[in-house]
Amino acid sequence: MGLWSGFFHPVHSKTLLALYIAGVLFACLVLFLVLQLIPVPARRHVIRFVTFLGGLFYALEFFLPVAKSGPHADQNVLTPYTTAFGNISQAIVGFTIGLGVINLFQVHLGRLVKRSSDAMFSLAFFLSFLAMFLVSLWHHSHPNALSRALNHILFDGLLQSLDATMFSLIAFYIASAAYRAFRVRSLEATILLVTALVVMLGQIPVGTYLTHTFPAPLRVENIRNWILTQANVAVIRAIAFGLDIGALAMSLRIWLGLERGNYFD
Amino acid sequence: MLRLLQSLDRRYLYALLLLSVTLPFFVPFQLPVAVTPATKKLYDAIERLPANSFVLVGVDWSAGSRGENRPQTEMILRHLMARHLRFAILAFSDPQGATLGEELAKEIAPQYGYVEGVNWVNFGYRVDMVNWLKAFIQNVPQQVKTDVRGVPVANLPVMQGIRTARDIAMAIDITPTASYQYYIQFLTQPLHMPLGVGLTAVMAPEAYNYVDSGQLVGMMAGLTGAAEYQALFARQYDPRLPLHSRVNAYSNANSIAHLLIITFILLGNVAMFLERRGRLRATRRG
Repeated sequence: MGLWSGFFHPVHSKTLLALYIAGVLFACLVLFLVLQLIPVPARRHVIRFVTFLGGLFYALEFFLPVAKSGPHADQNVLTPYTTAFGNISQAIVGFTIGLGVINLFQVHLGRLVKRSSDAMFSLAFFLSFLAMFLVSLWHHSHPNALSRALNHILFDGLLQSLDATMFSLIAFYIASAAYRAFRVRSLEATILLVTALVVMLGQIPVGTYLTHTFPAPLRVENIRNWILTQANVAVIRAIAFGLDIGALAMSLRIWLGLERGNYFD
Repeated sequence: MLRLLQSLDRRYLYALLLLSVTLPFFVPFQLPVAVTPATKKLYDAIERLPANSFVLVGVDWSAGSRGENRPQTEMILRHLMARHLRFAILAFSDPQGATLGEELAKEIAPQYGYVEGVNWVNFGYRVDMVNWLKAFIQNVPQQVKTDVRGVPVANLPVMQGIRTARDIAMAIDITPTASYQYYIQFLTQPLHMPLGVGLTAVMAPEAYNYVDSGQLVGMMAGLTGAAEYQALFARQYDPRLPLHSRVNAYSNANSIAHLLIITFILLGNVAMFLERRGRLRATRRG
């Protein structure tokens, strides 16, 4: 455990940190080259083995009995290592973000080179990516009034507003779809429509106001509550059971290396 | 009539919707709010916490769901501050969450005399929720290390007495996703930590299961949930809050937009019936 703690102890010296990062990058590069050089079937075995080890740690940590009392209550022999494994896992997730960026670059660079009809959007991607990346890096390493202002414009002014705008557009599509597509064409569609109308009315204070003189069981908010907490719960629970059994089977297949396709090729 | 309904340009629908969601911000009015049991349970769960307890607030939303999740977060933070509870902001689903949560906390904090680092802290955005939470349970300061300002959390007065996740009295996740299910998996089930949620209206139906089973102590469902929570909070702590709160305007805009969409659905069906009747008559004649 002491060795692990030493490995993951925060490094405060900037020179030492730079050396650590350079060392890790070099080690990753060597590992990457070695993986590229070994034959594909052997590479699959390496990936399967590492996946199995990762899964085994968390499975054993979950299933092994824990101490009932004392300084290590609720812990088993593997529990102290969860922080170290959590750190490793975060580093791996960091690399997956990098892979996503590489993939985006490949796709958009290809469009720019081919000068396809969507090339303008790809150019916008590169400009936005670089602007956000450079300003964030500057703001976090050497914050000053200008970096703060630029970060504010890009993050709060542009990104957040664009995000909200994209999401808000859905409301307009819903309005149009409600008028053109939500039609009573069959018995099932009628049941769905009536249920939707009751839930929508019960969701808003106007619905409460419209039926506030009715007896309690007929008030729209109470009917809506019954639909959501009784009828809906039974259906959602059944779907959740099905989904979770599927997820369990899928996890086992990945852990034991039985899964074919993208994961191991 | 039929021709008008059939040839209605969708841009008129868009214009009406735009008008209906902007008007309540300029013409304030108040509608009655019926508090649902799920919202009341969440409110009561926070009421039951002993003073100075530590609460983990998951701000797992971004600008996209700001309309629903921001008022929910505002009400939760107001309640925690009014009750003199310590809290930490934590974001997993989106990097914007930590920033938006902090903006909100900084906006409200002066009204309740709250100071960052003393009464509240921002743990920031973290990746890999599952493994991060697993390590967080064992040793909170070691896993969090520093807050967003780079200050080691172990040195902050707000973290006094917080060693493991068992020292945290409650967790609340405000999210438009299913991120709260990981809180159930790693905090509620093994540690029996009470968990409350604020969800967008579209995600809420899935969560009634967990309220029913007791794995969630309560829930705010959508903007209406925030308005319900505000009604409860105003009754006990700040009767004047609804008069100057944005939650009201949001809720009114939401109400009118819902009504408009209900009208569109009804009109669309009227058009379909008229068309069907016309076709039937033509067939009979022909």
